[in-house]
Amino acid sequence: MKNTKSQKIRLGLFVIVGTMLFVTGVYFIGQRQNMFKKTFKINAYFQNVNGLQKGNNVRYSGINIGTVSGIEMINDSTIKVSMNIEEKIITHIKKDAIATIGSDGLVGNMILSIVPGKGSAPVISNGDTIESYSKIGADDILSTLSVSSENAAILMSDLLKITTSMIEGKGTLGLLLNDTLMAKDMRQSVVNLKKISRGVITTIDELNEMITSLKKNQETVLGVLLNDSISGKKMKTIIGNLETSSEEIETIMANIDAVIDDINSSNGTFNYIVKDTALVNSLKSTLHNINEGTDKFNQNMEALKHNFLTRRYFRKLERKERKEAKK
Amino acid sequence: MFGINKIKPRIDDFLVEIGALSYFSGRFFREVFKRPFEFKELLRQCFNMGNRSLLLVGITGFIIGLVLTLQTRPTLQEFGAVSWMPSMVGISIVREIGPMITALVCAGRIGSGIGAELGSMRVTEQIDAMEVSGTNPFKYLVVTRVLAITLMLPLLVVVGDAVALYGSYLVEHLKGDVSFNLYFNQVFDSLEFGDIIPATVKSFFFGFAIGIVGCFKGYYCNKGTEGVGKAANSAVVFTSLLLFVIDFIAVFVADIFYEL
Repeated sequence: MKNTKSQKIRLGLFVIVGTMLFVTGVYFIGQRQNMFKKTFKINAYFQNVNGLQKGNNVRYSGINIGTVSGIEMINDSTIKVSMNIEEKIITHIKKDAIATIGSDGLVGNMILSIVPGKGSAPVISNGDTIESYSKIGADDILSTLSVSSENAAILMSDLLKITTSMIEGKGTLGLLLNDTLMAKDMRQSVVNLKKISRGVITTIDELNEMITSLKKNQETVLGVLLNDSISGKKMKTIIGNLETSSEEIETIMANIDAVIDDINSSNGTFNYIVKDTALVNSLKSTLHNINEGTDKFNQNMEALKHNFLTRRYFRKLERKERKEAKK
Repeated sequence: MFGINKIKPRIDDFLVEIGALSYFSGRFFREVFKRPFEFKELLRQCFNMGNRSLLLVGITGFIIGLVLTLQTRPTLQEFGAVSWMPSMVGISIVREIGPMITALVCAGRIGSGIGAELGSMRVTEQIDAMEVSGTNPFKYLVVTRVLAITLMLPLLVVVGDAVALYGSYLVEHLKGDVSFNLYFNQVFDSLEFGDIIPATVKSFFFGFAIGIVGCFKGYYCNKGTEGVGKAANSAVVFTSLLLFVIDFIAVFVADIFYEL
């Protein structure tokens, strides 16, 4: 019944190993919760924490850097989430970092992830508050999805209507799908189109040939126009002459203009004739007098014909005229 | 009336037993802080109960870890959640299976041992002889044994947990190519103080229950060889039952404290 030395040693060993195992276990659990590391505290305000719990991990760019240390309701729409962050990571978090709440896998724990900001803000310090961004929750996604699916259902029913009417041969598309005559016509049209295009091609070819021949052949007018440089020069001189002639015509016209102006304004003979109304009146009366004179002369001549002295002469004239008419 | 008459003595017996056990426990707490302390006997009992149970606890733990993993794996695979294996096995072993299996194994090995040992001492009137010779048999026999198993069981539980987790790791390593580091990290990521502290506190109570019931059954053993066997037997049965009751209470209390 006595304790041997080896028994004591073995007991001591067992006790030490057991205690060590327990202590290391506790240590590792504590380490996960950052109990033995120097930490600093930062806060973020959320409207909805989506089931985040005290002790959930905090991630910065995907690395676990701390744990959520407290969730506190500030008012009816604001929740303050405070977190303990490892102190050695402090130099990497800037003040414009953004905190979001996400899920670690489909059925996993919630995590608070801090996303680095874009700017180069100063480094965060103990007790600071960073911006937060609330992600869309699963409920919101589901409600959006339900709206989309309703829309999809309406769309599908419409599509169904369209396809059935198409199959039944209604509408242009249905005709296209079902009408064999139409198909034949279409084919014929296509064939015609082909022919036309072929014709167009040949026409264009001919045109091409014509143009090239025009370019090459210098006998024709166009060829000369296009190619003969001497004729071109001549044409140029002609056009130049035409230009000078037109200039001269212009000066002549200007002179004529001046003459007419002169006529209108000055007291020359022509102008006197044209413009003096008294003269015109006297001329008129003169002409009237002449008319009256000739009338009276005519009466005098008739009287002469019937006079016995000259009657014979007039009869003789009449007879002569009749004889000539008989011949 | 007949039924009540038949049941009543049993209820009386049960209540008497509970009352006697309470007195016995009270006496233990009175005696444990009184001089002289039987250090040598305590160490001997610690060695007996601690070191000599190591192999048993180790093998049971290893097999439990192995089997738990093997059994759960196909189901988790169906859900595509094999990566949750270490967390699941770790939590279930540390929280419940480790302490419970270790305590039950120790109840079988140590509880029955104490019951038989003290019973036979009572039968052969060694305890009476001690009382006559002036040695306090309660202090020498009961206090040392109860204290020893109360101190040793938590350590055995820790070792058992470690071995069980290693067994689980082996299966994961062989079947799923999981590295030790990954397994280790995943287990400790999922564990919290709320898992390990209540489990450890619980195992102190388990140890105390094993020791006190074994000693009680042996100390008040009936005369005769039959009494020894009965003492050993009832020690194991009563202890096992008590362990589950304590477990339930412990989980209940831990639930309040840690809001699991």
